[in-house]
Amino acid sequence: MSSVFYQKFERHAHGEGLKGLSTHYCPGCGHGLVHKFLAEAIDELGVQDRTVAISPVGCAVFMYYYLDVGNSQAAHGRAPAVALGHKVANPRSIVISYQGDGDLAAIGLAEIIQAAQMGLPMTFVFINNAIYGMTGGQMAPTTLMGQRTTTTPDGRGRLMGQPLRMAETIGQMDGPMYVERVALFDNKQRTRAKKAILKALRLQVENRGLGFVEVLAECPTHLHMTPLETEEWVRDEMVPMFPLGVKKDLDIEPWFDLGTPSFEPDRVSSVIGGGTEAPERFGTRFPTHIHLEDVAIKFAGAGGDGAQTIALLTTRTAINEGYDSTYIPSYGPESRGGTSYADVHIAAGDVLSPACPEPHILVAFNAPSIDKFGPTVQPGGAVLYDSTVISTPPSLDPSIRVYGVPFTQIATDLGKRMVKNVVALGALRAASDLFPRESFLGAMRETLQKDCAMLELNEEAFTWGERSLGEMTSPASG
Amino acid sequence: MVTSNVKKVKPKPFLFPHLCKACGRCIDACPKHCIVFGTEIDPATGFTPVTVDLEVCNGCGLCITACPEPHGLLATPPELEGTDMVVSDPFTYFGERAQTRPAPAAIPDQLVPLPALQPMVVKGNHAAAIGALLAGCRHFFGYPITPSTEGAELMARLLPKLDGVFVQAVSETATVNMMYGCSGAGLRCMTFTSSPGFSLMLEGISYMVGSHIPGVFVNVMRGGPGLGNIAPEQSDIKLVCRGLGHGNTHAIVLAPSTPQEMLDLSMTAFDLAFRYRNPVIIVGDGYLGQMTGRVTLPDHLVRPGLPDWAVYGDADHRGNVITSIDLNEPDLEERNERLNAKYDRMTQHEQRADPFHCDDAEWIIVACNTPARMAKGAVRALRERGVKAGLFRPVTLWPFPIDALTPIMARAKGTVVVEAGPGQLEDELRLALSHAGLVPRGPLAHVRRLGGILPSLQHIVDTVHALAEAHHE
Ligand code: SF4
Ligand code: SF4
Ligand code: SF4
Repeated sequence: MSSVFYQKFERHAHGEGLKGLSTHYCPGCGHGLVHKFLAEAIDELGVQDRTVAISPVGCAVFMYYYLDVGNSQAAHGRAPAVALGHKVANPRSIVISYQGDGDLAAIGLAEIIQAAQMGLPMTFVFINNAIYGMTGGQMAPTTLMGQRTTTTPDGRGRLMGQPLRMAETIGQMDGPMYVERVALFDNKQRTRAKKAILKALRLQVENRGLGFVEVLAECPTHLHMTPLETEEWVRDEMVPMFPLGVKKDLDIEPWFDLGTPSFEPDRVSSVIGGGTEAPERFGTRFPTHIHLEDVAIKFAGAGGDGAQTIALLTTRTAINEGYDSTYIPSYGPESRGGTSYADVHIAAGDVLSPACPEPHILVAFNAPSIDKFGPTVQPGGAVLYDSTVISTPPSLDPSIRVYGVPFTQIATDLGKRMVKNVVALGALRAASDLFPRESFLGAMRETLQKDCAMLELNEEAFTWGERSLGEMTSPASG
Repeated sequence: MVTSNVKKVKPKPFLFPHLCKACGRCIDACPKHCIVFGTEIDPATGFTPVTVDLEVCNGCGLCITACPEPHGLLATPPELEGTDMVVSDPFTYFGERAQTRPAPAAIPDQLVPLPALQPMVVKGNHAAAIGALLAGCRHFFGYPITPSTEGAELMARLLPKLDGVFVQAVSETATVNMMYGCSGAGLRCMTFTSSPGFSLMLEGISYMVGSHIPGVFVNVMRGGPGLGNIAPEQSDIKLVCRGLGHGNTHAIVLAPSTPQEMLDLSMTAFDLAFRYRNPVIIVGDGYLGQMTGRVTLPDHLVRPGLPDWAVYGDADHRGNVITSIDLNEPDLEERNERLNAKYDRMTQHEQRADPFHCDDAEWIIVACNTPARMAKGAVRALRERGVKAGLFRPVTLWPFPIDALTPIMARAKGTVVVEAGPGQLEDELRLALSHAGLVPRGPLAHVRRLGGILPSLQHIVDTVHALAEAHHE
């Protein structure tokens, strides 16, 4: 007996009576044999301590009663996903995912296909006995045509689909390294099955690749035959449908290594982007001339106008100045192609509501934005719009200051149309006196630190935006 | 060249009849026909064990390979050669070497000081991801779904730089089960998802709860039911508080309302998940996930240890098992009682709330997530108009922070629950009141918007104001 079996099965009926020494499987069941071959392989490779076996749902749900290794029991069909979680958690662990045909080939198809295609060195054992055992003899994906089960009382027919050949399916995928179908019905087959399981496990131990072994197994109980008749049935009926043999066998050098996760504080802070230097502050006061404690600004345009970028820059500027600020974009399908708008709040205390249903300032890049949001601007507020694309100034409450600035034209004259948003930001600064110019430029530098050429262009665009408010010139004429 | 002159002795099989299930597979396997079906029923098992006659046995071992029982046909150990195995008691051979390995010691977490870092300007989803990294999470499993995806994307970008692992699963179902495996190995892992994706994870969450497995889920809620939309509806409060899959399940539910809290609570979530060996759910809303704000970083990070219960895949933890099946009813009852005791401890120790101007409040607004920010604005506006309003913001939705609310409601003239959803928070409040044997004083009204529309500040102000006016008349 392999020492990989518990000497006493404490988990089987609390180890009481004969149950403490025997399995819960029916007489002649193929599961017991495969457990035995697995235990022997684990023993032979000397990996008992490192092994994690995933028990499935189905008759083998209690595999963990027997194998003296790390054990986990998975939900129906999910053993490959659970196995993968274990493998990436501890790449040194030897993970065995063990499943029956309902589990692997019906409810768990997506999980096995993904795990197989990922091809991490793991071992997959698939017990194909052409029937659901635990639930009492229903049709499995591998049930043969014409085979009677409790859910195919007249035999599996066309409407039930054809039996699924998993070894062939897995074998034609790129992920796995080794795929074989074996059986248990005579001495020769059992020797092959033992070898196949040992090989699949060895490939994992050597960090080479994924092994998948399909085993044609006997379920005498639900085939309503004696164990010996079942062996014959597997040989005569199943094998023609499920041909035995190697489906795939590659030669791969050991490759698997995930490294050791780092918790080194300097490395972590650099990776999350935490800076140790305090940003410079330039403002001396909260922009109380706009609102005493909470300024709301809406930026609106079409996707690609750059409204989001300058909204974020505004928030960053405000936060650098020591105020609370939030920026919330319109997102999802809304932000694809159609309108793109962003709400910014700047507060002396905490930002309360982050939305801007009634902004103090609106920056608009196209006509629909003006039409939609212009009327929501608070009395006494301000509207800045791109006069290159919006020909007629909006008619709004007379208390609202309206600035038409040719954002696009100025940017085009500067040679980069896409900086029109930064032109707009400059204009916003000049029109609102929100924060000092240096403050905005500081935030811009932080954002663009790696790109000096872009920084220069952006600073220029910002400056032209600021200037455009006073003297309506353009860089081309100036 | 030296050749061994010791003839290799092939051990012959032996069998304890009690452990034979009479399947006959060994009979077929023996080329020497040493084994035949028995004739006498074993009263201990009801089976008729085979009879073995080793007269002509050559020790080929084929019968042993054919026997499906681990303790069925076995090779006779050399030291027992010649003993009459059949009449012995199998327990003397198999009974004693039970799991005697010492239970492994838990390796504790370490708090590692961080350099003093400047506040960051990040969106809520990113803040939660950064919090997870600082909490020692190095394994992420997920499936993309709006509006939670940026969290996963940031993890995909940052984890490899810390030699962590990011896996994009084939579905949310696979995601939660990868978490089950990774957490089962004792490591800190998480996912980001949104309502429809969270629905798919419930099966796995029930297994995690049943198996006492930790794990952190950030559910950035969106509009439902069905495909709904991606707007910030608080649509899953019922699900996370009352419906975490089949069976007797609960998990601590944290409801942040700022990017800062997304970070802080994501760190808290890992601690709670491992302290209680249970999943922890962070519910945000689409608005909060997308919202960029200032986030102050903590002064330490967590280097996680390894719990004693982990199935890590090493010698120390070999005796552990993760499972939630108990066929025996009293066993399952016991498992549930253990869970209940845990839920009681959570209810006793983990209620969290953030009251705002509640000390002298006559009108209590109850709100969480983004609507709580609108409500905070409303409290200020109401106070300017002379209405003594306060905001009670549950930070844990389960357990509901009823202990903190009780004295506040005892002073109140009325309560208004503000939700971007169909009343699921109000249901939690009503349940908590009812369990505590409390009857709210004055009206229990609400402001609700559906479909992902956030209740406006004005709507809240008007509702509370009208109640206050009515009260005076
Ligand atoms: S029902 Fe079938 S598969 Fe299940 S234990 Fe019995 S024989 Fe084995
Ligand atoms: S060891 Fe070989 S010969 Fe002896 S009983 Fe077993 S199968 Fe028969
Ligand atoms: S194979 Fe094992 S269980 Fe089956 S009859 Fe032989 S000894 Fe008994």
